[in-house]
Amino acid sequence: MTLDPQTRKQWRRFRLHPRGFYSAIALILLIMTSGAAELLANNRALIVHYKGEYFFPVYRSFISGTTFGLDYPYETNYRDLAKRFTQQKKGDWLIMPPIPWNPYESHAVEGLFPPLQPSLKYEHFLGTDGAGRDIASRLLYGFRLSIAFSLLLLLCNYFVGTLIGCAMGFYGGKFDLLMQRIIEIWSSIPTLYVIMIVASIMRPNFWVLLGIMVLFDWTLMTWYMRTASYKEKTRTYALAARALGASDWRIITQHILPNTRTLLITFAPFSIAAGITALTALDYLGFGLPPPTPSWGDLLREGMARFDQSWILGSVVCAMVLILVMVTWIGEALREAFDPKQYTVYQ
Amino acid sequence: MMKDLTISQYLLLFVCLFLIHACDNNDTQPAKNTPAEKLTPYPIASTPLPADLVWESNERDPEFSDKTAKRGGTFREFVLSFPLTLRLVGPDSNHSFAHYTRALNMSLIDVQPNTLNPIPALATHWAFGTDNKTVYFKIDPDARWSDGLPVTADDFVYSLEFMRSKFIIDPFSNDYYTTQIANVIKYDDHTIAVVSANPKPADELLQERANIRPVPRHFYKLDKNWVRDYNWQPEPSTAAYKISDVRKGKYVEFSRLKDWWANDKRYYRNRFNPDKIHVKVIRDINIAWQYFEKGELDSFPLTLPDFWYNKAKGKLFDKGYIDKIWFYNSVPQPSQGLWINMTAPPLDDIRVRYALAFALDFDRINNTILHGDYTRLDTQNVGYGAYDNKAIKARSFDIKRAVSYLTETGWTNIGDDGTREKNGSRLSLTISYGQPAYTDRLAMLKEDAKKAGIELQLQFLDSSAFFKQVLEKKHQIAMLGYSAGGLSPEYWQFYHSDNANKPQTNNITNFSDPQMDKWIDTYRLELNKDTRVDLAHKMEKKLFDASIFIPSFKTPYTREAYWRWIKLPKGYATRSSSAVVDVFGSGLFWIDVEEKNRLMAIMRAGTALPPSTITDTTWK
Repeated sequence: MTLDPQTRKQWRRFRLHPRGFYSAIALILLIMTSGAAELLANNRALIVHYKGEYFFPVYRSFISGTTFGLDYPYETNYRDLAKRFTQQKKGDWLIMPPIPWNPYESHAVEGLFPPLQPSLKYEHFLGTDGAGRDIASRLLYGFRLSIAFSLLLLLCNYFVGTLIGCAMGFYGGKFDLLMQRIIEIWSSIPTLYVIMIVASIMRPNFWVLLGIMVLFDWTLMTWYMRTASYKEKTRTYALAARALGASDWRIITQHILPNTRTLLITFAPFSIAAGITALTALDYLGFGLPPPTPSWGDLLREGMARFDQSWILGSVVCAMVLILVMVTWIGEALREAFDPKQYTVYQ
Repeated sequence: MMKDLTISQYLLLFVCLFLIHACDNNDTQPAKNTPAEKLTPYPIASTPLPADLVWESNERDPEFSDKTAKRGGTFREFVLSFPLTLRLVGPDSNHSFAHYTRALNMSLIDVQPNTLNPIPALATHWAFGTDNKTVYFKIDPDARWSDGLPVTADDFVYSLEFMRSKFIIDPFSNDYYTTQIANVIKYDDHTIAVVSANPKPADELLQERANIRPVPRHFYKLDKNWVRDYNWQPEPSTAAYKISDVRKGKYVEFSRLKDWWANDKRYYRNRFNPDKIHVKVIRDINIAWQYFEKGELDSFPLTLPDFWYNKAKGKLFDKGYIDKIWFYNSVPQPSQGLWINMTAPPLDDIRVRYALAFALDFDRINNTILHGDYTRLDTQNVGYGAYDNKAIKARSFDIKRAVSYLTETGWTNIGDDGTREKNGSRLSLTISYGQPAYTDRLAMLKEDAKKAGIELQLQFLDSSAFFKQVLEKKHQIAMLGYSAGGLSPEYWQFYHSDNANKPQTNNITNFSDPQMDKWIDTYRLELNKDTRVDLAHKMEKKLFDASIFIPSFKTPYTREAYWRWIKLPKGYATRSSSAVVDVFGSGLFWIDVEEKNRLMAIMRAGTALPPSTITDTTWK
C-alpha cells in the first residue's frame, strides 16, 4: 500500500510528537491486551497437564471437577487443583494466568474480611473490593468494556453524524434548514434524564445503553460535517467532478469525505475520552451496566464509599487518569500533525 | 451538556430562582384554622356507658427511665433525604421522616417496653366491652396539645371523620378507618369507646386496633385544598416536642415543651431530655460519617458491618472520645430474603424452588462480607414469641441435593458455561432488588448458584420501580425484607388466595392453597391465643414446605456510636428498643453539657480517656 505524500507528511509529523506517539502505541497495546484479558486475569488455568493429557480451559466450555479426579461436578477450581498437583507430585501441572482471579468471584480468607489489602501472598496485586473481588481483574475487564463501548459509540456516532452532516452541507436549502431545526430540538433533550428514566423501568444492558447514547450523541458531529462539506462542495475539484457527470454519492464519498478526514481524525481521541467518561459516570451514578458487571464507575463509587481503603479508589483513579491523559496526548499530537500551518505557536 | 449563559440569561435565572424561593416561603403561612371556641361539640352517645365496666390501668410496672437524667442541650442527628411533607396522612406522608412526625402524636395507650404490658398514654384507664370489639378509654384530663388546648373526646371522634375524608387523599387511611374501625363513641369530654369492625384477641384489640391517635379538630379545616394547605403545617403535638423550625432541604428542628403535660407522669418522667433536636439532611451516609467524626452529629448507626469494623476505629475511638454499643433487642424481625413468585416458570415447579434453596450459601456471605454478625433467619415470621415455629430450620447450602432435585425435574443438559438446559431453554432466574447494599451479597449467591448449574441474573431497580414490579407480581424472585410487624404474624395479606395473582396486594409469592386459606380464616377470627399459636405453627410449616421464601438473615440487635457526652440510662435501652440513642422512641438518653465542654478541652489537649465498647446481651 502506498500512502500519498500528504499522509506520509502527517505521519512523520505525528511521530515527531513523542508523548503522543508513544501514548498511541501504549494505548493500542493496552486495547489489544485487554482483548485477551481472559489470558491475563482468570480463574481458569491457561494449560493443564493431567495424566499425560493437555487441557486449555480458557477459551472453551467449562470443565467439570470430576475430569481431574475431584469430587464435584461443577467447574474446577484451578487454584486448588494447582495445590493438589503440587502435593500429589504425580507429574501433573498447570499454569495459571498472572492474575488468577476472574472479576466476579469473591475470595474469602479465613480470619480476614474483605476488602483485602493489596498482597502478593493472595495474588491480589491491587487488593479486593468490599465483596472480596480482585480489583486488578475488575479494572482490566472494566477497561475492555469501557473502551469497547466508547469505540462502538464513536463508530456509530460518526457514521450517522457524518452521513447526515454531509447531506445537509451538500444539498443545503430547505433540507438543510429543516434538519438544522430538528437537530436543535433533538439535542436539547437531556440524555442523562432519558437514561435515568429508562434505567428506572428496566435495567439497561450494554447494547441498550449504547443505543440511547447514539440516539442523542450523533448530533454533535453533524454540525462540523455540515460546515466542512458546505465549504468543500464549492471547491473547484468538486465542481469539476460534477461537470464530469459524477453522482452525488460519488462526489460525497470520493471527493468531499477524504478531504474532511482531518476533522474526523482529530476529533476521535476526544470522543473516545468522552465515551469512557460517560459510561463511568453512568455506572458511578448507578444507571449504567447491571451489577455485578465489572466497571470503572462501580469501582469509583465503591472507592468513594470506602475512602479509608485507599487502594480501591487509588487504583481506579490512577487507571482513569492514565488512560484519559494518554488519549488527550494522542489527540494533541494528531491535531498538530494535521494542522496545515506547520509552525503554529499556540498561545 | 451545560451551555454557556449570557449575562442577561444569568439575570433571568437569578430572578426566577428568587421568585421560586419567594413562592416557597409563601406556602408556610398559617392555613385557615377554625378557632376552637367556634366548634360545635360532638353529641354525646344516646346509650349510657355500660355500668359493669372493669376499668384497668397500670401504675405497677417498673419505670424504665433513669432518675439521674439531666434536661438540656441540643441533640443533632441526620436523615438522608428531606421529607416531601410534614402531614401525617395524604400523598407522600409515608416517608422515612414519618417516624418523627408520628412520634409527635401520641396514641391512647403505650406499651411498657420491657414487660410489654399496656401503660397509660393519652388515656389513663381502659376497659373491655363484652363483644371483643369495643374498648372504653378515659382520657387523661391533663392531656394538652402543644398549642395549649386540651385533648378531648371530640379529637378522637373527629379522627374518624378526618381519616374517612376524601380530602386527605389517603386511600389506606380511608379504608382502615372504615373497614377496620367501625366507630368512635363519645360518652363525655373525657370518656370514649373505640369499636373495631371485627372481633380481635384482647391484647391486639387494645394495643393495636383500638389504640388510635387523636386529630386536633381545632387545627384542621377539611376542604379540597387540604393536601396543599397543610403540606408544611406541623400539626400541634401531644408529645414532648414540637417542630419549631423548618428550613426546606436543610434541616428540621424540634424543641422541648417546657410545660409538657406528661412531664411528671410515672412512665414519662426523666425521658425526652434534650431541649432541642436538630435533624440535618445529609444526602450521603459517608459524608454523614465525616460530620459525626467532626463532632457535628451526636450519634451514628453502626449496624452495617462495614461501619462497625472498618469506619468506627482510629484515634477518636481509641482515646475514648466516642463510645460504641452493641445492644441486643427483642423485636419482630422483618422477613428478609428471597421471595419467589411461584407462578413464574420454571419456579412453578416446587423441586426447582427446593434446588434453589439448597444452592445458595448464606453462611458464606455471613462469614465473609458480614463478619459473621448476622444470624440466619429460619422462617418467615420470627420475633413474635410463642408464635415462632422454632422447629423449622432454613435449608442450608447443599449442592448435592440441589443437583439431585434439578436432575429429577429434567434439567440435565449442561451448557457451555455450566448452566443447565431443558428443551432448549436455560435455567436462568432473575432476582430483582431495590437496595444497593444487597449487590455484594447477591454477587456471591450468583457464584454459588452457578455450581448447581443455575444462572442468576441480578436486576437492581430504583426502589419505587422495584416495589411496582413486585406488587404487580412481575418478578421471578425479589430480595427484600417484607412484613407487617405487630403482636402476632400476619398471614391473610401475604398468603391467602384472595390476594394471589392480583396486582397491588401483599401476596407477592402468589401462594394459594385451600388448606392454608381455611387456616388463615380461622386464625383471623380466633380469639384463643393457644389455638392461634398452633395454627401459626402449622402455617409456617406449610410455607416452609412450599419453599416460596428463602430466608436470609436477621439482626436481633442495634449498634451505634455516640460521643462521650451522650449518657445512657442503667441497662442502656429496653427490650423493644430498635435504637439506643433514640430521641423519640424511648428517649432515655441525655446530654451532659458540662461533660461536653470538658471533653472539648481534653480533646484540644489530646489526653486519652479509657475507650468504651459496650456489649449488652440482656435481651438476646
